[in-house]
Amino acid sequence: MMRGESTGQTAEIPGPIKAILLKEPKRVAAMLKGIGRLVIIVGDRIMEYENEKFKPIDFIVDLAKSVNAHINVTGPLITKFREKGYEKIYLMPAMETIDRLRDPEWKGFDGEGGYRMAVFIGFYYYYEWLMLNGLKHFAYKWLRTLSLDPLYQPNATFSLPSMDVDKWRDFMLEVLNHIRG
Amino acid sequence: MARRLRFKIEELKSDLGQIKGLEVHIGRIVEEWEEPEGPTPMPSIAELRHWDQILLRRYPPMYMPFCDLCCLCTFGKCDLSRDKRGACGLDIASQQSRIVLLACCIGAATHLAHARDLVEWLIENYGRNAPLDLGNQVFLEAPHIRLVTGIKPRTIGDLEDALDYVETEVTRLLACCHTGMEGNNLDFESKVFHAGMLDHVAMEIADIAQTAILRFPKADPEAPLVDIGLGTIDISKPVIMVIGHMVEPSVGIIDYLEEHGMENEVEVCGLCCSAHELTRYGPKIGKIVGPISWQLRFIRTGVPDVIVLDEQCIRTDLALEAKKINAVVIATSAKNMQGFPDMTHEDPNKVVELLISRKIPGAFIHESEAEKIGEVAVKAAIKLAPLRAEYKKLPSKEEIINWAKKCRRCGECIRACPNNLPIKDALDKARNGDLRALADLYERCIACTRCEKACPEDIPILTLIMKASERIFKEEKFKIRVGRGPIQDTEIRTVGQPIVLGEIPGVIAFVGCANYANGGREVAEMAEEFLKRNYIVTVSGCAAMNIAMYKNETGQTLYEIYPGIFDAGGLVNVGSCVANAHISGAAIKIASIFAKRNLRANYAEIADYVHTRVGACGIAWGAMSQKAASIASGFWRLGIPVIVGPHGSKYRRMLLGRREREENWYVYDAFTGEKVYTGPVPEHLFYAAETKEEAMVMAVKLCMRASDTTKGRAIKLTNYIDLHKKFFGTLPNDLHLFIRREADIPITLKEEVLEFLKKVGWKERREVPNPTLLKELVKKE
Repeated sequence: MMRGESTGQTAEIPGPIKAILLKEPKRVAAMLKGIGRLVIIVGDRIMEYENEKFKPIDFIVDLAKSVNAHINVTGPLITKFREKGYEKIYLMPAMETIDRLRDPEWKGFDGEGGYRMAVFIGFYYYYEWLMLNGLKHFAYKWLRTLSLDPLYQPNATFSLPSMDVDKWRDFMLEVLNHIRG
Repeated sequence: MARRLRFKIEELKSDLGQIKGLEVHIGRIVEEWEEPEGPTPMPSIAELRHWDQILLRRYPPMYMPFCDLCCLCTFGKCDLSRDKRGACGLDIASQQSRIVLLACCIGAATHLAHARDLVEWLIENYGRNAPLDLGNQVFLEAPHIRLVTGIKPRTIGDLEDALDYVETEVTRLLACCHTGMEGNNLDFESKVFHAGMLDHVAMEIADIAQTAILRFPKADPEAPLVDIGLGTIDISKPVIMVIGHMVEPSVGIIDYLEEHGMENEVEVCGLCCSAHELTRYGPKIGKIVGPISWQLRFIRTGVPDVIVLDEQCIRTDLALEAKKINAVVIATSAKNMQGFPDMTHEDPNKVVELLISRKIPGAFIHESEAEKIGEVAVKAAIKLAPLRAEYKKLPSKEEIINWAKKCRRCGECIRACPNNLPIKDALDKARNGDLRALADLYERCIACTRCEKACPEDIPILTLIMKASERIFKEEKFKIRVGRGPIQDTEIRTVGQPIVLGEIPGVIAFVGCANYANGGREVAEMAEEFLKRNYIVTVSGCAAMNIAMYKNETGQTLYEIYPGIFDAGGLVNVGSCVANAHISGAAIKIASIFAKRNLRANYAEIADYVHTRVGACGIAWGAMSQKAASIASGFWRLGIPVIVGPHGSKYRRMLLGRREREENWYVYDAFTGEKVYTGPVPEHLFYAAETKEEAMVMAVKLCMRASDTTKGRAIKLTNYIDLHKKFFGTLPNDLHLFIRREADIPITLKEEVLEFLKKVGWKERREVPNPTLLKELVKKE
């Protein structure tokens, strides 16, 4: 096992196909900048990452603006996101979102075409693990996935390594700085 | 109906000789009853496949594999990733459905074996001809049995034919899971539905048998309120704890106490479904500790003197836990013998002596000997309680701090915790004497003790949490209404029309286990929201208990505020897991009693009726078990949607509709045969919600049905819009799909909604008062 590949829950043993670890912020930034059409899917747990210097909603909106991404909020946090005034924010529950992402014919939230990448952040670990596994097996031909949570998600195409939340906040801010150049 | 003729001669003396123990069984005698037999009496696996395929076209499976491998045969392990197939040829989609089927077979078999044992015990004690009397308001006594098997049972003995049928079918389904059997994922799913349907028959058998014969409430909306909560247990008395899902031990214990005038001398309390049965049988004596996740909590307090185990959902290490507190354990089910010596035929006093002296680690006394279980449990508790005084307390605060100081801060406890609770930080604070963070974990901890198993220092983390939460759990003093069993025929007559027309906005069933992602309070909060909105809220199992365990601002539980009637704003506790059959049974009864549809062996037509007209939705917020899976699948085959909580995503596949695919949402007008677009009603069949807010909005949406009148649809839309605005801040963006005519729009929201409809280009369309998905039913109405 590579460093950082310990899963977020003890018995979540990855399958034969495991995520590629992105250990450096600049690699994450390059990925997000270069991938093309992408959607950031935000779960209701994202506020657990909040502290005085890191405001998750602001961060996600800034990130999305920087890479021209859509944001799909899956729960009640949508009301807070809308306050930020970014026009590409959508509301769709997580299960319905996964169902559409696994459909090669789906044209995205704006009807203009499918996504090249879905970025996940802010879910119960196991819930995200399962959603990502659904996409790993049933959408791999057209969709890549990236988990931005601070726990290694082996079923994503790309994942951050498991790390302390304080370190993760710095990592995320560095990602944003790299994107902004 | 089909009946078996049996007679038994214990002893006959005649001039020709002597006969002893002669028992004669003669096949089946077909006995007619008032309804003509429908097309599918005792359906085999393939007979309802057509109906299943209709549902599965609307709600295709969406897989989220829990494991990428298959390790069920010696070819394996096989990697099934992506497009690969295993050595047997199976792909990952079929493997997921296969595992779901396996889970549902386990679940159905568990209720079925339970029903078989219970019926045999009742026959042994009350005779095969004991009538199935469910009270003077229940004439349609067994909607599932009638619907599926075509049998109208009149006596306990009649239930055996239904049991025989279900046992045969479950065995066939289990065979389908063998290597080299079914290879198509959708056919696996059809079999999953079959398992669920069978499970509801098995549950119904179990619950009507015990309700009819034992002194349970019989469809009584005013079933008594009883105590629930750790704080209600009188620890000054000897304490017997029953746990699992079986009534026989409780009957034995209560009967013994009553016969000996000892009702006030011993505290008898229960957990999980056994607690439901305990209080249904003896509401004046029995108390409920709590749902299944309270079992280790209670044991860690050291309070129980005697633990009576039966079956289902019990921790398999309870005997080890009991040993730590020097409590005595009696196992009572052959399905769960715990390695104990069989004391079924021993003298009760000798068993008590052996247990108290620790000459045996525990005793197995078969459930059929309920009287003996009762006597042994009571006598052992009375003898043991004074000897165990030192165990009936939690460790001191100093001991807790000392344990906390051993923490290495490795964080393995958090990784092991299913809810990723911040245990490490709480221990960090506890080492400095601040136990508040540990107490904060109490609400969300499911007491699985995976953290303890992971801890390299063997810190008894749950015990630490319990000590820190001592003040909280000592205040757990609530009231729950005892499980009432079936829904009355008269209640169905009252609510049938408003439910089908949509004027009662829906029936929401809170069922299932206590594996909550965010604590049990969410279930009570959701239930209260629906009750305030005049939904009929039915509850069962552990969910029924969690709903009881919170008080509102007036200091009352929901059971004290809302009546137990099956009507708008009623909170209906049907009872234990097997009583779930009464919830689905109520939907079937609406088709029969209100709509006058023939029930007998007429599954597809009735399921079609329920799916298109009865606005009902299940919420299994803490679903954990295989039983929960099979219960859900029984609802699915009737076309009733089920929502699970986040942990329910581990059931590895959802059944999701796609609202934007217009072609999926057509029905036949049963009068004209015309195909009519209805909108996505209901949109999904199985759905794992992330938050309680999402679940509530989804549940009200999933209660919409094609048959809703404009008035009914307006009421349902009022709830949908109101909750969507409350939690998500705006009108729902799929609102236009549910509005057929302007009259559907809630009056108070008309302007706002019309503006939205204009923006999305909505056009008025017709309603379908007589919808059906079955072409063969056209013009039959």
